[in-house]
Amino acid sequence: MTVAARFEILYSQFLDAHGKVVAPLPAFAADTAALIPLYQAMVLMRTYDAKAIALQRTGQIGTYASILGKEAVEAGVGAAMQKDDVLLCTYRENGVQIMRGVTMRELLVYWGGDERGSNYSAARRDFPVCITIASQCLHAVGVAYAIKLRRQPRAAVCMLGDGASSKGDFYESINAAGTWRLPVVFVLTNNQWAISVPRKTQSAAQTLAQKALAAGFEGVQVDGNDVVAVHHAMREALVKARSGGGPALIEAVTYRLADHTTADDASRYRAPEELAEAWKRDPVLRLRNYLSEAGVWNRALEEELLRQSAEQVQAAAQAYLDTPPPPAGQMFDHLYATLPAAFAVQRAAVTAAAGEST
Amino acid sequence: MAQITLVEAVNLALARAMAEDPDVVVLGEDVGKDGGVFRATLGLLDKFGPERVIDTPLAENLIAGMAIGMAAEGLRPVCEIQFSGFAYTTLDQMLNHAGRMRHRTQGRLSCPMVLRTPCGAGIHPPEHHSESPDAMFAHIPGIRVVYPSSPKRAYGLLLAAIRDPDPVVFLEPTRLYRLFKEDVIDNGEALALDACFTLREGTDVTLVTWGAMVYETLQVADELGEQGIVAEVIDVATLKPLDFDTILASVARTGRCVVVTEAPRHCSIASEIAATLAERGLLTLLAPVQRVTAPDVVVPLARLEQHYLPGKQQILAAARKTLEFA
Amino acid sequence: MKIFKLPDLGEGLQEAEIVKWHVKAGDDVAVDQPLVSVETAKAIVDIPAPYAGRIVKLYGTERDVAHVGAPLIAFEGGDETDTGTVVGKVEVGQSVIAEAPAGATPLAHGIKAMPAVRALARKLNIDLTMVTPTGADGLITANDVQRAARILAELGPQELLRGVRKVMAQSMTLAHAEVACATLMDDADIDAWPEGASVMLRLIRALVAACRAEPSLNAWYDSQAVGRRLLKNVDLGIAVDTPDGLLVPVLRNVERRAPEELKTALARLIQDTRNRKVPPEDLRANTITLSNYGSIAGRYASPIVLPPTVAIVGAGRIGKEVVVVDDQPAVHRILPLSLTFDHRAVTGGEAGRFLAAMMADLQRPD
Repeated sequence: MTVAARFEILYSQFLDAHGKVVAPLPAFAADTAALIPLYQAMVLMRTYDAKAIALQRTGQIGTYASILGKEAVEAGVGAAMQKDDVLLCTYRENGVQIMRGVTMRELLVYWGGDERGSNYSAARRDFPVCITIASQCLHAVGVAYAIKLRRQPRAAVCMLGDGASSKGDFYESINAAGTWRLPVVFVLTNNQWAISVPRKTQSAAQTLAQKALAAGFEGVQVDGNDVVAVHHAMREALVKARSGGGPALIEAVTYRLADHTTADDASRYRAPEELAEAWKRDPVLRLRNYLSEAGVWNRALEEELLRQSAEQVQAAAQAYLDTPPPPAGQMFDHLYATLPAAFAVQRAAVTAAAGEST
Repeated sequence: MAQITLVEAVNLALARAMAEDPDVVVLGEDVGKDGGVFRATLGLLDKFGPERVIDTPLAENLIAGMAIGMAAEGLRPVCEIQFSGFAYTTLDQMLNHAGRMRHRTQGRLSCPMVLRTPCGAGIHPPEHHSESPDAMFAHIPGIRVVYPSSPKRAYGLLLAAIRDPDPVVFLEPTRLYRLFKEDVIDNGEALALDACFTLREGTDVTLVTWGAMVYETLQVADELGEQGIVAEVIDVATLKPLDFDTILASVARTGRCVVVTEAPRHCSIASEIAATLAERGLLTLLAPVQRVTAPDVVVPLARLEQHYLPGKQQILAAARKTLEFA
Repeated sequence: MKIFKLPDLGEGLQEAEIVKWHVKAGDDVAVDQPLVSVETAKAIVDIPAPYAGRIVKLYGTERDVAHVGAPLIAFEGGDETDTGTVVGKVEVGQSVIAEAPAGATPLAHGIKAMPAVRALARKLNIDLTMVTPTGADGLITANDVQRAARILAELGPQELLRGVRKVMAQSMTLAHAEVACATLMDDADIDAWPEGASVMLRLIRALVAACRAEPSLNAWYDSQAVGRRLLKNVDLGIAVDTPDGLLVPVLRNVERRAPEELKTALARLIQDTRNRKVPPEDLRANTITLSNYGSIAGRYASPIVLPPTVAIVGAGRIGKEVVVVDDQPAVHRILPLSLTFDHRAVTGGEAGRFLAAMMADLQRPD
């Protein structure tokens, strides 16, 4: 017998849990201060996240899915994307979306149960939040195909979770992306939990990154709590994708520090010891330590950043609370390009019953 | 002008659409080199190349799902699902995403895609190749469902479907693919969506149907005519949104209605039409509405197919029943 | 176990270093008891116990960094309330349902006709109850309706009852549906009457006597409450035939009015009734009724008792008949009497005694 194929999956980390450099830094990180915008983005999104949870707890928005713990993945991805790239993400990527120009008010309008929140004023080609698991992977293949057909220097970025990597839609997508060498980067956030199902029950594969090999392209693992590692891997993958080099799969290993959603209680299925341990790998603290040690960050800057973030988040929350609820007729808006006559009758009945004028 | 079959008319319309609009692409299993297992996409690969005529891996979710991504980026994908039985997996993408994309984003993104699939029974195939998914697709909000019954209407309606800014499920009657020919002019003219076609005018009873059953229903109208009963025949064509006004106006004149479908009875589109007649046309009815349908069973294999599919005798009997109702 | 997480330290601080634990696993703590001292960027802060309980476990040792929102201490105790969902809010109610069986619904037997046929009948003004069905299973067809319409057209238009006749139709229908009628008949021998005696005055006097003898026939019956009122005054309704139809004006308090006064009042009442000058209040609230149909024709009758009254006296045509006097035939003038009463409120005995009293008075010479 001969060996038909071998594989290895590379894992990259540049900053350890304490913020110490453990590998030669990539070029973009050579100037430490260049990482400050990443840190600012991470703090802002964590502040937004806490606010969203508070709004849910006080009944101002519906069920919300927290991004606590994956700020480095979000910032690393968001900062690597270009304006005309296309983001197709799950419900747990609000941080990336904020970096793409989606306003926090729009996100809160969405979580508050109003479709107008998905009519983004910026990032107009980005897909709306995808609730069904892994469907966005199929859509990303279509987007990437269109980009390739038109020979555009753009890429589709598809974000998914560890649970999604078990779905048929995911396998069909990476298979197609590989066979057609499409400009799509799959960012798989492995936060160890799919609601209550831990990573080891989700798949027998040693890494999730290696699933890309079955589709004929490269898969890498990165420390998802190290924003330098995430950002570096993203930059490389996007350059390759945009220049016709085909797809990539990045498995960002991190931990879901919050419950699955605000309605979930993770203490039902996971040990507090594990959670306490995971906190020690907090991506925000790690980066702050690194920046402080490097002398480009200090307490005053930290306080100012926290103050500014709180202000921005508060303004967005207020703008959301000030947004009047949608009229009942909105359920018919944009159902078709032009509402067919038969449905106009239904629309009139709904608006009349709601006491609104048509 | 050429005398062509229904499947050739589909092919003609696809070629026309792809020639006119570089954003139109065709994708599906075996649609490229093989020209489609029913030859619906014959010759397109040679004309338009492999980037626009795409042989996909074997994955129906992929076909429907990537069409959504393509459409969001401004392409006009026409995807083919090889057989009706395999179309059910696409319900997820069509219902959860295609029909919702425009509304979900309040018009920011839209989904101008067409999903074509051969349906209906009568060609004695193995299991899963004889399905009638009409009602399942028609139940989805935000999409159109179109089901032609002749080469002319296949050509005109497919062009309309491709040009429509919203998702269209285009069901093709496999049994009629090559059963007869018709003169079709390749002039790029679309037919109206959301409208019934009155194929015969009549005064005594209205026969409403679509897809392959139009063929038998027209023959029944002929036979009734020989007995002095003038039947009006309506081809619904667009199952959603459905043009009830034409049917109501016809029944207001005839007072009698038979709805014919080869789909199983329960929750069929025939039920929707009967309910609407009861709701909006009750006072014009001289007899109860008759539904001629297949029974509520799994589509049997070939040996029992002829007992399963509604035939001319059943349609005749139903028409007579309405006339005997005083 | 209850997990207590490091609470918000204020001023946006995200973590703090554990300086000193003040408790250990196994300790029982009270609310607000200091658990641990932590050092933030600003100061050393004591974290108090949020509730009383027994410590199960401490997370982290001294010099470790504790994060806001991360587990700090595990307490023994009850589980958090389980939402029972991961999306939305599934409302929890406390009521317990116990469905009762639906109960049998009676079969509907009605007129069978298609809606179009019903609409046709309405348009042609045909009452479907009058149409004989020829369709299968008792179905009324359009032809049936057309046939009925043709027949009725040949008969000419029907006269719609109005005014007094309409009221009679309606009140007789109600009375007939409600009242349990029974009738007693007998003859009064009035041969002893003087010349010129007024039949009406004698009848009225006899009726009053009968009311005194048997007050239960001068009463109002309430079928809803199943109760009756015996009335002191006798307000006598007099059936009057007018060109417009049957009217029943009322002579009030006949029991205490002198014969001459009654005579005048009666004459005036009848004239006013025929001229339609009687006010509405004099057409209602009689306590008993008298119908002198004999003045036209008829010996015995069972006239209709109109609720709430319970009795109506009918006086038939006076005529000469052969009767038995002292075991010998004789020709006497006879006044036939009919008494119809509402058997829900009046017994046969009471009716009999009433009739006997009337007859006794009528049979007196004056």
